[in-house]
Amino acid sequence: MTLSVHWRLDPAAEPRRSEPGAWQRLPALARDRRVSTQNRFDYFLQVAQAAAQTAFDGLFVRHRIEADESRIIAAIIARAVPHIHVVPEFPASVGSAVYAAKQATTFQRAAHDRLGWAIAPDAEPAGREAQADFVSDGDLAQRLDEFLTVARGVHRERPFSFKGSYFEVENGGFDAPLNRASFPRVYLQGSGDAALALSGRHADMHLFAPASTEALAKDIARLNALADGRSVAAGLIQPLLVRDERQTAERDARDRPLAPGTLVASYDEAAEILAGFAAIGITELVLEATPTLEEAYRIGQHLLPRLRALTSAARQAA
Amino acid sequence: MSIDFYWRLPTHGCHNSIQTSGYERGDWSPLRPGNIAPGRDRDGEVDGFTYIDHLAAIAQAAEAVGFQGGLIPSFPNTDDPWVISSLLARETKSFRFMIAFQPGFGNPVHTARMAASLQRATGGRLLFNIITGGGGPAQLWWGDSFAHDDRYGRTSEFLDIFKGVWNASDFSYDGAFYQLRSGGLAPALRGEEFPEIWFSGSSDAALQTAARHADYYLSWLEPFDQLGEKFARVKERTAALGGEQKCAVRVDLVARATEEEAWADIEKGFSNVSEEARQRWGGQGSDSVGAARQAALRPADARRYDDLIVAPNLWGGFSLLRGGPALGIVGSYEQCAARLDDLIARGTDAFILAGTPHLEEAYRVGEEVLPLLGRQASALPVAAE
Repeated sequence: MTLSVHWRLDPAAEPRRSEPGAWQRLPALARDRRVSTQNRFDYFLQVAQAAAQTAFDGLFVRHRIEADESRIIAAIIARAVPHIHVVPEFPASVGSAVYAAKQATTFQRAAHDRLGWAIAPDAEPAGREAQADFVSDGDLAQRLDEFLTVARGVHRERPFSFKGSYFEVENGGFDAPLNRASFPRVYLQGSGDAALALSGRHADMHLFAPASTEALAKDIARLNALADGRSVAAGLIQPLLVRDERQTAERDARDRPLAPGTLVASYDEAAEILAGFAAIGITELVLEATPTLEEAYRIGQHLLPRLRALTSAARQAA
Repeated sequence: MSIDFYWRLPTHGCHNSIQTSGYERGDWSPLRPGNIAPGRDRDGEVDGFTYIDHLAAIAQAAEAVGFQGGLIPSFPNTDDPWVISSLLARETKSFRFMIAFQPGFGNPVHTARMAASLQRATGGRLLFNIITGGGGPAQLWWGDSFAHDDRYGRTSEFLDIFKGVWNASDFSYDGAFYQLRSGGLAPALRGEEFPEIWFSGSSDAALQTAARHADYYLSWLEPFDQLGEKFARVKERTAALGGEQKCAVRVDLVARATEEEAWADIEKGFSNVSEEARQRWGGQGSDSVGAARQAALRPADARRYDDLIVAPNLWGGFSLLRGGPALGIVGSYEQCAARLDDLIARGTDAFILAGTPHLEEAYRVGEEVLPLLGRQASALPVAAE
């Protein structure tokens, strides 16, 4: 099975870069000719270009209420950057499932079916209430289930009708040419049987959090068991701190806060470990590291070629 | 006083000509030789362009001739205005994106964050045509089961929150449709200009909401004196409710070098409409008061194109030739400019103009009609009818 590798953009990372309000003034002796049309999206596009040029398959865009909205960022990227898939992450509280699905058709039509949907993990209750979202903890899974049922339903069937607790449609469904676009590839996350079962019903890909090869192998088996015959691929979100040599990586790791589960390793070691994940059935990796731009180049140029060499050798051996 | 002129982006494909009914631009009709975006290359292969490439060309034409921007309509079988605006943000320079949006379709805080993001991406070129009416079967197609007057209440609360969170960190709200506890846009997203709100809807519930929230009241074209009265009433009513309303009109033009040429195009277009299509005229069910006002203007059995001339340069058959309102302006460049002047004299503060094909007509109207505006304004307030 081919391994797809995506880069992950956190729109809130490196918050000063290309942020006009946060420009660091140059000393008076240096003439500063930056203009007001420069903005934060220049940086997002640079990251996307870096991911495309270093042969990542796609770019995930995190949902961050501190920063610009992921689907707006994704559309701007898709128009400017060729080839790569773009996967904005957003919560099921964005609003109408019909409207979200319809927006996806415009994206797909314009960008030749390069859109994915990553549904964001649920925020804490106080965070949700600040977003005008008062669905209780116990009802969130039901809302997401209905959201995806309706979004897929109006895309696939016409007429489509549905009456649930959160969404209702009567004689809905998209007509040509909108219904010719592919439905976005759906990525769900979360641990535990309830999350895996939801992925079993709705996801194309379940994204796991960092874990050991053994733990992931068990999770993948559980996912397949709960999917009940439906095929759901397994992916992994993996934060990285990789350097030419492991000692350098470990030294740099001491200087910074790391995301939980960050893989600290040399390029060669990281390639071996990631190839090991591929060997137990992980088919997509979502890699992240900061600073987002420089690390996209580093990982794209140094780690990806090593990883792809290993996985293609394994494929040929099989 | 200066008047804002907008163009329109056709979000359901575009015709090569006002005379033809096929969509030769975009993929709403079967792909035939000569189709644009998508088209076929010299080897007959699909060329890889998509409709967004044509919309980009129209937006660039509109900004090149001095339109402020364009209305981006939203219906069940159109492309979506939010996505179009994002896709075109970086290949336009001054074009302002007027997103047609029904507030019920989005969470208000998330929508505010999307809007702030687009403001940041475009240097403040976003505005909204907030739509609440419509309704009936179409509303359930969208997954919206609210009754007509409830929808205006919801729109009002939605905009309360949208405004409330725009520059705030700790905004709370307890409404009938929305609740919010201690929300607000993040610091990085604050400080953007609040998008102008254009409002449609002719019912009492609509006017009350407009008075509270709207900068512009947007109407389809109606016979001029009727529209002038309506605008006067809107301004009076909203002033009484404590709001201030500018008025805007959406109108299609067939502007040609001579009046004869303009009517010849209409006549040809009318003759290309089948008897069957004319019988179907009327469209999808709706509880919109605005749609009913237009439908009431419709002469029952027009046999000839000129049965539909309702006043000098005013033709009531546009919806036969393309989707949208029935009434539009037909005439020479000078006449079209004079009719727009007439509308200004009747209280119009801004226009959304359009013509088919939208790309070429953006240049034509921008280059031939707009420069003639204001010349006869003082002489013509009542000359047209």
